[in-house]
Amino acid sequence: MRGVTVIGGGPSGLAAAVGLAEKGYDVAVVEVMGELGGMLTQCIHDGFGTKVFGEALSGPEFSERLVKKARSLGLKVFLNTYVKEVRAGEGFKEVVAVSPGGVQRLQTRAIVYAIGCRERNGFEIRLGGTRPAGVYTAGMVQRLVNLYGVLPGRRIVIMGGGDVGMIVARHLHLEGVESILMVFPEAGFAGLPRNVQQCVLDFGIPFRPRTVVKKVIGRERVEGVVLTRVDEKWNPVEGTEEFHACDTVVLALGLVPYTGELKLGVRMDPATRGPEVNEFFETSVEGVFAVGNLVQVFDYVDDAFETACIAARGVEKYLNGGLKTAPVRLSPGGNVRMLAPQRVEWVDDGDVPVFLRPAVEKANVRVVVRNREGRILGGFFKRYVRPSTLERIDVPRSMLSNLQEVSIDIAED
Amino acid sequence: MQRIELLCTRCPRGCLLRVTVVESRVVVEGNECPVGEKHGAEEALNPRRIVSTTVRIIGARLPRLPVRTSEPVLKNRVRDVVAALKNIVVEAPVKAGQVILKNVVDTGVDVIAERDMERA
Repeated sequence: MRGVTVIGGGPSGLAAAVGLAEKGYDVAVVEVMGELGGMLTQCIHDGFGTKVFGEALSGPEFSERLVKKARSLGLKVFLNTYVKEVRAGEGFKEVVAVSPGGVQRLQTRAIVYAIGCRERNGFEIRLGGTRPAGVYTAGMVQRLVNLYGVLPGRRIVIMGGGDVGMIVARHLHLEGVESILMVFPEAGFAGLPRNVQQCVLDFGIPFRPRTVVKKVIGRERVEGVVLTRVDEKWNPVEGTEEFHACDTVVLALGLVPYTGELKLGVRMDPATRGPEVNEFFETSVEGVFAVGNLVQVFDYVDDAFETACIAARGVEKYLNGGLKTAPVRLSPGGNVRMLAPQRVEWVDDGDVPVFLRPAVEKANVRVVVRNREGRILGGFFKRYVRPSTLERIDVPRSMLSNLQEVSIDIAED
Repeated sequence: MQRIELLCTRCPRGCLLRVTVVESRVVVEGNECPVGEKHGAEEALNPRRIVSTTVRIIGARLPRLPVRTSEPVLKNRVRDVVAALKNIVVEAPVKAGQVILKNVVDTGVDVIAERDMERA
């Protein structure tokens, strides 16, 4: 029987697989696409790896470092292989996968899920109008442009002002489309300032805040969109509808954990929309771990990578009979939208890294850990927090001893 | 006198910097910390960017090879760099880091491959 099966060959899956193989475990990686690297393969811009490697790499450069390591360690890799079924019982785990070589039944002692996130689609925001050709998700556009050199159209409307939308806007601009207009319901861009400056402002790409696409117009191909202004609550402002001609609509509506492909009943967190995990990123099923953007959508691949390294240590503890105690539950308090891990339960002496998404934009704040009665157990100073930037705190384990639950909030002054 | 406005990219706060350059004197306003002041001055006097794009590749599994400048180039040369790569065609195999175009548009910077691309 194999030691560990990793599902997903993107940066998080590879980080977990390499971490475990380096310690001598027998690891297999199952990847649905034709090559390893995941989404990084199409992220040809630079800025990846500043925390992990201490330099700004492009996506392909980042993933190639991991792929080379995986090769040198002799990992078993199944490409073009789709996981059809996962079984996890007492002391028995099996991943059933369809590969070009036939159906593989991979019996394994532990499983690491690293299947990432998916893009939100037009149905989720009830995008109105017709369904002509020319409506793409941003990730698909990035793939077409960067892998195949195909422009999706000439006159582009991008819905969404997050990081993915901005990065795709820059690609399209540099590759020579005629016009781009970005629209989003927020008052400002939802992504990192770095991208606002270097993707949008650097090139003078037009954008309209507090604006949404009400409907798509076109029979065979997109002919335009009806734009409408929205108020602070994102409700349409009457009388502001306006036709805008274009041939392509790009949906950059945000990312959510790709839980639809889990094939296993694990407990979910409605806030992160991913599986609930403990401090070593183990799901509610023993010996089944979840890492990277499947758990919570990270802003930096470096942080997703880090969760995989933590999980690799967890898998090792699991395989070597590590002990658990009664769990301490972590829940988001005031001004915190979501956090992971959601529980702490292993016997260990290391600090517990907690990743949390602020719900507010504020300077000089304290991220505070409280017990059930609201008493402050500890605080972590942050110079500036905003929803577009995930924060990390390292909670000393001693702070959590003998508790059943704590909440973590961003304290009001 | 030159006046520019830009967002500081050094932390999540993203201060709106207003930078004034009079002869060789640089004044940065709107920054909340010294890092922002340094960043604003750099962006006014010597703004540089890494340029990433793709070039055509023959004989590989994919039709495009991702490339980038090996060092940041002056911001106002970004478009020229992309234009210079429009008609470049390379042949697989290519190794990551391999020079695709030397001293692109006289910037003194090379354009390199971002990844290996085997012959298919």
